[in-house]
Amino acid sequence: MARRTRTGYRDVFSTCHPAINFFYFASVMLCGMFFLHPVFLGISLVGSVAYAILLKGERTARFYLWGLVPSILLMALVNPLFNHQGVTILLYVNNNPLTWESIAYGLAAAVMLFSVASWFSCYGVVMTSDKFLYLFGRVIPALSLVLSMALRFVPRFQAQARVISNGQKCVGRDASNGNLVQKLRNGMTILSILVTWALENAIETADSMRARGFGLKGRTSFSLYRFDSRDRCVLLVLLGLVAVVLLGAATGENDILYFPRIVVKPLSWWSAVVYLAYGALCLLPLILEGLEAYKWHRLRCKA
Amino acid sequence: MASIALQSLTFTYPQREIPALREVSLTVGEGEFLVLCGKSGCGKSTLLRHLKTVLTPHGRRSGEILLDGVPLQQVDQRTQSARIGYVLQDPENQIVTDKVWHELAFGLESLGMDPPTIRLRVAEMASFFGIQGWFEKSVTELSGGQKQLLNLASIMAMQPDVLILDEPTSQLDPIAASEFLQTVLRINRELGTTVILSEHRLEEVLPMADRVVVLEAGAILCQGTPRQVGKALKTLNSDMFLAMPAPMQIYAGVQSSDPCPLTVREGREWITRAFPQPLPRQELPGPEPDRGEAAVVLKEVWFRYERHGEDVIRDLSLTIPKGRFTCIVGGNGTGKTTALSLISGIQRPYRGKITLFGKEISRYANRELFQGMMGVLPQNPQTLFVKKTVKLDLEEILKGRGIPHQEREKRVLEMARRLQLQDLLEMHPYDLSGGEQQRAALAKVLLLEPKILLMDEPTKGLDGHMKQTLAAICQDLLDQGVTILMVSHDIEFCARYAHRVALFFQGSVVTENTPRAFFSGNSFYTTAANRMARHRFPTAITNEDVIEQWNRNKP
Amino acid sequence: MEQEQTLARRARRRRTLLTALLVLLVMPGTILFGVYCLDDRKYYFISLLLILYTMVPFLLVFERRRPQARELMILAVMSALAVASRVAFFMLPQFKPITAIVILTGIALGPQAGFLTGAVSGFLSNFFFGQGPWTPWQMFSFGILGFLFGLLFYGRRRPTTARGQRLWLVLVSLLGFVGVMVVYGPLMNLSAVMMMTPQVTWSMFWASVVVAIPMDLVHAGSTALFLLLLTRPILEKLERVQIKYGLLETPPTSR
Repeated sequence: MARRTRTGYRDVFSTCHPAINFFYFASVMLCGMFFLHPVFLGISLVGSVAYAILLKGERTARFYLWGLVPSILLMALVNPLFNHQGVTILLYVNNNPLTWESIAYGLAAAVMLFSVASWFSCYGVVMTSDKFLYLFGRVIPALSLVLSMALRFVPRFQAQARVISNGQKCVGRDASNGNLVQKLRNGMTILSILVTWALENAIETADSMRARGFGLKGRTSFSLYRFDSRDRCVLLVLLGLVAVVLLGAATGENDILYFPRIVVKPLSWWSAVVYLAYGALCLLPLILEGLEAYKWHRLRCKA
Repeated sequence: MASIALQSLTFTYPQREIPALREVSLTVGEGEFLVLCGKSGCGKSTLLRHLKTVLTPHGRRSGEILLDGVPLQQVDQRTQSARIGYVLQDPENQIVTDKVWHELAFGLESLGMDPPTIRLRVAEMASFFGIQGWFEKSVTELSGGQKQLLNLASIMAMQPDVLILDEPTSQLDPIAASEFLQTVLRINRELGTTVILSEHRLEEVLPMADRVVVLEAGAILCQGTPRQVGKALKTLNSDMFLAMPAPMQIYAGVQSSDPCPLTVREGREWITRAFPQPLPRQELPGPEPDRGEAAVVLKEVWFRYERHGEDVIRDLSLTIPKGRFTCIVGGNGTGKTTALSLISGIQRPYRGKITLFGKEISRYANRELFQGMMGVLPQNPQTLFVKKTVKLDLEEILKGRGIPHQEREKRVLEMARRLQLQDLLEMHPYDLSGGEQQRAALAKVLLLEPKILLMDEPTKGLDGHMKQTLAAICQDLLDQGVTILMVSHDIEFCARYAHRVALFFQGSVVTENTPRAFFSGNSFYTTAANRMARHRFPTAITNEDVIEQWNRNKP
Repeated sequence: MEQEQTLARRARRRRTLLTALLVLLVMPGTILFGVYCLDDRKYYFISLLLILYTMVPFLLVFERRRPQARELMILAVMSALAVASRVAFFMLPQFKPITAIVILTGIALGPQAGFLTGAVSGFLSNFFFGQGPWTPWQMFSFGILGFLFGLLFYGRRRPTTARGQRLWLVLVSLLGFVGVMVVYGPLMNLSAVMMMTPQVTWSMFWASVVVAIPMDLVHAGSTALFLLLLTRPILEKLERVQIKYGLLETPPTSR
């Protein structure tokens, strides 16, 4: 989240190079979206939820427990209403068959959706705006600058909107009571004042940019990040795991057929390897955190 | 290091007859600290903007600007960007990016430096300014003073030879302003950077200056060392004195053959020399006997913004007498502005009572409160402007109240006359100067005919002349029986014009009295005139007081 | 000088044509290709690709032009306003002016600025309210609205009579309503369906459309209302800064 400050403790994975963060999330999200095999789904869900709890703490855990389970069940039940494929018919509703396959399929889709959403919430915490701008600042320098400026403007405009709204209240136009039309009209006035204020004051910002040489040829982009040897290690492990998982996908380890009948590849030593690799991939941030905790423990014991 | 020379520079804005700058010739030597002063609208900003091509306004121009003897137009943009640093007035508007480190690096990125060099430069600057602690912060987390320091640091990271500052402290409170100016002085003294600074609050800046240039109506009125300028202004009998520090103003008002004092210390010594013996003790004024009817009464008021937050207002009891001018002074974050928002009903206290004319504030309907009872002038007048001309904007406030069109127009014109806005009615509110914008906003508030007027820092960014205009308007309102409550850092203004002054500390009023009793009783928190003359004239709190007592006691 | 201007104008027209071509031909082509040549499981993949497709040319054209400080500034301000403006309507939570502001930027500053403002606003708002799989979709939907309105209205002469102006306003806000119902709504529903289930069926899509109708109606209605009330003041303000500060009027080369 943009609002999150970088003070206080950050987990180990967040301190890795932004390119690794981004690559990691891109791989787990894509895998999470495309693998509908129950084992893969389960691993992705566990990994993403565990990481979200590590990042956001206990309250998130409770939210997941009470929000996640019922909604997954609900979604599992909605799918069969639209989908009547499958051979294992459980019962008929309004002359439409309710099949075990379509329930299983709905369940799988729901788990997939939630693990992806959960990965996204982790992404929001780990990939701060700085990191994003750093990664894309070289490819799209002008737009990433626009984004950086806009990120500064949004809180500023919000604060200003509140100031304006209080100012309007003081001339007898309270936006929080009155009927719909009055509220709307007051809102419009506030917005109108805000727009003028923002546009007129932005000119000075543009002047300040030009005074500092913006627009000269050959602009570079500075960052706080450095790709160090630990990042190299993490990247190698990451690439290895992704390679195994992709190889597994190529050999059909993640294939599953839901209709007309659920068909999966039987378990073999190779599939076990792929599962393990996928597990390690999804739990990578937690593994890194664990390793670091162990290191601290050892350091303290020695001292 | 660099020197700058202006050779009979004349400049006229498009569609204007009168030139904004007239035959200005000026040289600024290497490493010099030059202060440019003059009334608002005298052409200070226009002059400064000519010193950097990208900021130069459009218009007709003659004369030459030389940087180290080379005409500025021939100096390429890259060199100009690197060598001439420019800090603007508003701390907020100048910041481009959302992170402190990015802001510090911005100029260096533009110059195309490689990351290791940028890292070094930024680290150097952050250490010089002592702002390492903010490095990874969001810009939003900084205070106004910190933001302006950040602007300065991000300019200095480019290691300019010349630093130009256009009223850099006008939006800061006195303590932040002082810190900022000390940093500028350090840059000048320790790095040898040439500094050209324009200001209207000169108390602190003038003693730092090697040379002072006074502009009037686009032309140089006089220039020289601060003392020379003091003398020159005295002989010219110019009203530019209003902008000068208190010791100089007092010096101008009395007969003395000594050199002009610049600082409070020098002023004190000068008075001691003139009056070697202590004078007969003067009686400090007693409390005001009759305080009349109360307009606003706060009784044991407590307030905090969040349930589990800290108390911002603690046990505040205050009575604001009707028809008088009351000022609340005090440091930053002591709850002054919050107190205003409580009195105006924007916030509600969680304990205690606020009554307006004997009726509790929560009993007033919103309409009743803000139309004809309470007028609030916000700190930033721009937050009130809606329409594209001042006239439409003033009429807008009267709409929807069942007033016929002709009557509306009559009232607007009458108000414009009272606040000297007649010539500005057709202009866009954002094209007005700071002081004019404030008058326009005040006119808007006054059209609601308030009985109580609340003002938050109305003198911020105003020069001495505009402050006089504001004071005259306040007097006019007081004559009509309006009660005025003002929150301010400007103790000089309060000392001169207020009827009562209250000092805020830790969310409550520590002491409250008439200005004379209040300021002559304090030893730090008092006017420069009082600090300078208190050992001889303890009851003198304004420059005029000191001059008057001097003349009375001098045979 | 004149020749230069005509050249610049021609280049601008060519760019607009190119972008229009991309938006109207290449993208549907990819959809068809995806539908017929790839497995239906790859829906999300195709759509993501499609979204990226559309954004790339805009970004490239913009970056290659080396925009000036004031141009960047106005895009940043409009995007931030689009996101921050909901604070002004805190008491009417379902009223979000973001779409209206994007549309107005397109009308005032042209299709490209409209698209970029839309895309940046979409991205930005998700920075503040949580990124998700819907982010690229939202960026695209806002962007395309800004683009379409820029194509329709940018640089066209506006009626001068009071009656004509009123009609023009009504037209803009009606089109805003239609735009949300026909462009934004369906696109976002499609994305929701594709997120929900890898196996997209028409019935599912229609069901989602039906479910979303009340929300879409509120969104479209509020957008139309905003356009009706905001178009004139905001266009006026944008024109004013353009004139006052010579914004966007001189091409960067002539400086």
